[in-house]
Amino acid sequence: MTMTAGIDVGTGAVKAVVFGFEDGGASGIEWLSKHTAKIRQRDPFRLARQTFDTALEEAGVKKQDIAYIATTGEAESLTFSTGHFYSMTTHARGGIHLMPSARAVLDIGALHGRAISVDGRGKVLDYRMTSQCASGSGQFLENIARYLGITQEEIGELSLQADNPEKVSSICAVLAETDVINMVSRRISAPNILKGIHLSMAARLVKLLRANRVMEGDVLMTGGLALDIGLRAALNEELADRNVSIEAFSHPDSIYAGAIGAAIWGAFRYDKLARLGRLAKAS
Amino acid sequence: MKEVSEIVEYCQGLYDDLEFTAVREWKDAEPGRRVIGYLPVYVPRELIHAGGMLPLGILGGGENLEVIHGDAYYQSYICRIPRSTVELAVTNRLDFVDGMLFPSICDVIRNLSGMWKLMLPDVYVRYFDVPQNYRDDIGGSYYVEELKELKQGLEGVCGRKIGDDDIRRSIGIYNDNRKLVNAVYDFRAKQPWKAPSSEVYILMRAGMVLPVEEHSQLIQDYLAAAEAENRPMRDNCRIVVQGSFCEQPPLSLIKSIELAGCYIVDDDYMLVARWLLEDVPTAGDPIANLAESFIKHSTETAAKYEPDGSRKGKHLIGTARSRAAEGVIFAAPSFCDPALLDRPMLANALSRENIPHISFKYAENSGQMQPIREQAGTFADTIKLWSEA
Repeated sequence: MTMTAGIDVGTGAVKAVVFGFEDGGASGIEWLSKHTAKIRQRDPFRLARQTFDTALEEAGVKKQDIAYIATTGEAESLTFSTGHFYSMTTHARGGIHLMPSARAVLDIGALHGRAISVDGRGKVLDYRMTSQCASGSGQFLENIARYLGITQEEIGELSLQADNPEKVSSICAVLAETDVINMVSRRISAPNILKGIHLSMAARLVKLLRANRVMEGDVLMTGGLALDIGLRAALNEELADRNVSIEAFSHPDSIYAGAIGAAIWGAFRYDKLARLGRLAKAS
Repeated sequence: MKEVSEIVEYCQGLYDDLEFTAVREWKDAEPGRRVIGYLPVYVPRELIHAGGMLPLGILGGGENLEVIHGDAYYQSYICRIPRSTVELAVTNRLDFVDGMLFPSICDVIRNLSGMWKLMLPDVYVRYFDVPQNYRDDIGGSYYVEELKELKQGLEGVCGRKIGDDDIRRSIGIYNDNRKLVNAVYDFRAKQPWKAPSSEVYILMRAGMVLPVEEHSQLIQDYLAAAEAENRPMRDNCRIVVQGSFCEQPPLSLIKSIELAGCYIVDDDYMLVARWLLEDVPTAGDPIANLAESFIKHSTETAAKYEPDGSRKGKHLIGTARSRAAEGVIFAAPSFCDPALLDRPMLANALSRENIPHISFKYAENSGQMQPIREQAGTFADTIKLWSEA
């Protein structure tokens, strides 16, 4: 069995996975371990090493057993990796692994949202990304939850309880936060505020999908917000409103999509380099 | 033996120093020393050296110079290197320079030579007009006369005749330097993980401000140190960077390309050190030898006029093949006519040979690297995952 690892350093969290491959994946892929840790102002590179070590420990293997250590996200500078893949490439492949029927992946992280259209091999066909403004990102939602005094885990459930959501009117994080402060002073309930934010985020994400010419099929949500059930519900409402035959899904391991994609592409590269006699060696 | 980090730190210091302290110190060390500045892309530094003067490569103000006055001299659709070079002059950062050569790379640099004459009337200024015709009897004989005129002008600055033996000796010293520069490029192409392009770049930039003899020693030290250092090989794709021969990219751009998963195995950053492809003969008429080397053995990039359209791109394809490059990144400064006008022709030539390529533009003070990382990263992934090789 050939083992590879994928390490995804995001803006908010680090994810690491270890995979085993038979015949370069042709005879099967075995997921050996996974581990994630929130960055919370710690050194992301040191945390990446710790998260990787924990994933190795959980898989019962050592670093030298790993044929290819692949990084993605902000992990280009990790010195112990074999190779790096761009996050769009890895989310596309990871998304297809988690949901083979998906023809688009919505990567919604702490800082950005990306719509990626993919083929059945996990090849990126096209993509669109939100601009640099943090509104409509996980970091913005996390900040609002903190202002409202609720935990991140409560956001989705509360959002589903909304009966009269108020959309934030701006795409600018600073102005959107002002909107929320006004809503609080107007005694708008937390569920209605959160649902309003979810709907605003969903509208932006659907725009990205449409710009990507994704008009039908299954879309898998990945990234840190993939498991937010309130956002998924808002996204499907927004899709229904636009009369497009797209349904958004998430997978329990959606947050690992980048790391999964990195590990799978790492195995692919290892196989290819072995055939070409050009194997790179991790330090 | 010096450590890589020690050499890199020294080169970085030279690169960051917009006051050109090392050059000022060289000049102050002995009375009568003279400094001749030159802009990209090529000047015969041998002639300057033969007159006992220091050739100083001026490649703009880079990413850390705030251009305040320079913008007033140019319209908005002009590249940044002339603005920042003017800024260097009007802020007295080049007040120690005794002469300036402006090679014929484009109209903007040609016009800068005229502006320099107006701004600094006491400084020797020459628009160095290299031939666009490469026939011996036309461009060759023209270039011989151009070199003679340049020699005469330089003699006026250094205050003495520049003898043939002086030039022959300088030709030999620059031949040695060129061999060492090429050795670094060969070393990097063979083991790019041992010689990151961000290091090679500032090592070559050091050659723009140091006496050639010191630069040659520095290169030898770097080669020995880099060979000895144990650095891990990464699974990066191998690419050639093309189009950056005049205004230079910020160092962060070179780092971003590498971080995105690309090993740069060849480039055209400082062509003055690699313009001539073969040694200039040290025997015989040195002026004629310099001219013949230029006419017959100079590199074929967008910086050199190629009248035969069918030959366009052959040199680039040859470079990509010899360096085992898997792709080409066209990285040209915004508004750089020579690079941007050639790019479609070069890109077509690459496409015909199935060599993948992408392109983007930069300015020497570009600060936002995310789009560069994105383009270079996805390009690297495409090559690594979907190319046949």
